[in-house]
Amino acid sequence: MLVKDVMNSPVLSVPEGLSLQEAHDLMYANKVRHLPVVREGRVVGVITDRDVRLACSPLAKGTVASPSTPVSKVMSHPVITADPLDPVEEAARTMRTRKIGCLPVLENNQLVGIVTGIDLLDALLKLTGVEKPSGRLELRLPDEPGQLALLTGYLADQGVNVHSLLTYPEDALTVRSVLRVNTQNTRALAEELRRQGLEVLWPPEKPWM
Amino acid sequence: MVPVVYHPGYLKYSFGPQHPFSPLRLEMLLDLLKSLGHLPAFHAPPQASREDVLSVHSERFVRRVEAASQGEESPELVHYGLGTGDTPVFPGMDEAARWLVGGALEAARLVLGGAGEVLHLGGGLHHAQRDQASGFCVYNDLAVAIRHLTKAGMRVAYIDIDVHHGDGVQWIHYDEAEVLTLSFHESGRYLFPGTGAIHEIGRGAGVGRKLNVPLEPFSEDESYLEVFEQVSEAALRWFRPDALVIQCGADAHFQDPLAELLLTTRSYGKIFPLLRQYAHEFAAGKAIFTLGGGYSFDAAVRVWALLYHVLQDLPLPERLPQDWQERWASHLREPLSPTLHDPERCYPEIPRKPQIEQHNRQIARRLLETVHPYWK
Ligand SMILES: [Zn+2]
Repeated sequence: MLVKDVMNSPVLSVPEGLSLQEAHDLMYANKVRHLPVVREGRVVGVITDRDVRLACSPLAKGTVASPSTPVSKVMSHPVITADPLDPVEEAARTMRTRKIGCLPVLENNQLVGIVTGIDLLDALLKLTGVEKPSGRLELRLPDEPGQLALLTGYLADQGVNVHSLLTYPEDALTVRSVLRVNTQNTRALAEELRRQGLEVLWPPEKPWM
Repeated sequence: MVPVVYHPGYLKYSFGPQHPFSPLRLEMLLDLLKSLGHLPAFHAPPQASREDVLSVHSERFVRRVEAASQGEESPELVHYGLGTGDTPVFPGMDEAARWLVGGALEAARLVLGGAGEVLHLGGGLHHAQRDQASGFCVYNDLAVAIRHLTKAGMRVAYIDIDVHHGDGVQWIHYDEAEVLTLSFHESGRYLFPGTGAIHEIGRGAGVGRKLNVPLEPFSEDESYLEVFEQVSEAALRWFRPDALVIQCGADAHFQDPLAELLLTTRSYGKIFPLLRQYAHEFAAGKAIFTLGGGYSFDAAVRVWALLYHVLQDLPLPERLPQDWQERWASHLREPLSPTLHDPERCYPEIPRKPQIEQHNRQIARRLLETVHPYWK
């Protein structure tokens, strides 16, 4: 999954001379929290609703900015940006390590979109969530070549469609795989996979049957 | 006597001998009722028309079902949930599914005509969606019946005790104010179709009127009944429907090969009378009962025989007729329970029992907290 798959586009941007009041109103009217600031087509900063509120708050340290202050005085810069072809996990890592809430997305130095924390939550839901009616299989596989191929090959033979597949390391020797498959009859599949020597964690065996 | 809607056309809804949704279950049930001397005069429904089906399904989906039913092959069928392992295509599929829809619709007509409770001895295809077949379900007979009742001005509460989330019925009526849906199921975190979380509460005018109780795997009788009574009574007392539509899937039984809840027949022996009581207390005595999932032949047939006896106020037989048992045990090549009820302690103790009960209690509480602001 790439940044271009989850970013918001087109994106609302503002000139650096815009006042804090206007930026505030624009964010509320459009229900967004981040605005890239643009000079001559180039992104020069990002202003957030938090920047505006803190700048104008009597509780903040230092002088209180007036609502007519230009955003260029308050915005964050230089800007950390993303490329449309960056993988989402790279965007997530950047935002996490730099402690920022959004990344303007640039293509040939032109602003083409923006990725926020909410978009990354959407990506997480898409990767792990239930998008279609499906059953769930969970397996523990040896962390070795060919294990996943064995599993998916078997499912393909059965005509079972895999809607999603998530695999993550469990310890040094094993990985966990969670699959969403287009059948309610996952117990029969699990039984057959066990017969093939795979360790199926879900659905579990019912010892009385 | 509670009218029983049934047509031999129901038996044509069959995905082949290896498929779990087998019409043999219905044949076994009818044969059992006959052996017990209780086979009623059925109320034979007309087959549902294409227009009836279109009251809840999209034209393009119905067109695909019809084409597939005639043997037309097309790679796009899969996008409509057809020709999959769960819902394979069979000749005459459209007609067979319309018999089941016809039954549910006939039950709805009976209720509108003044009947109290009605048993639709089949159907309960709660996974079928507006635009898609899913999980053994082609057309959603329940939603067609519900739509028929709401078009006549009724407010309907749908209760689903199948072990799987009643997703099709929920999504079809998701933004309707006049339909309350209430599904008790094994949590979608573990079981097909994956939905039915407590935060799915409806949309627009329907918000607060779609309720889900996702239960922990290995939930047992007491815990199930506790949350079932708590949530059903709260919801019905508030919603005050004009009629109930109840999907009585039997796959929450501990013997079911597709799921992991552990109900015994004793639960069903309490749930069915409770549902009748709710119908009388909250819905002027009007209720349609349908069958549904249930993939252990032995368990499903006993659960539905129990439903039949409860609805007709018949005394429960302790033992099942010997001739019936022998006939079907040899046909299925598997032993059948000799008694209507499960024996005591029919499965080993569940070590996590206290945590499971605690979890289910909390789910019910959180659900009611979530919808309460909308119950005005
Ligand atoms: Zn079911």
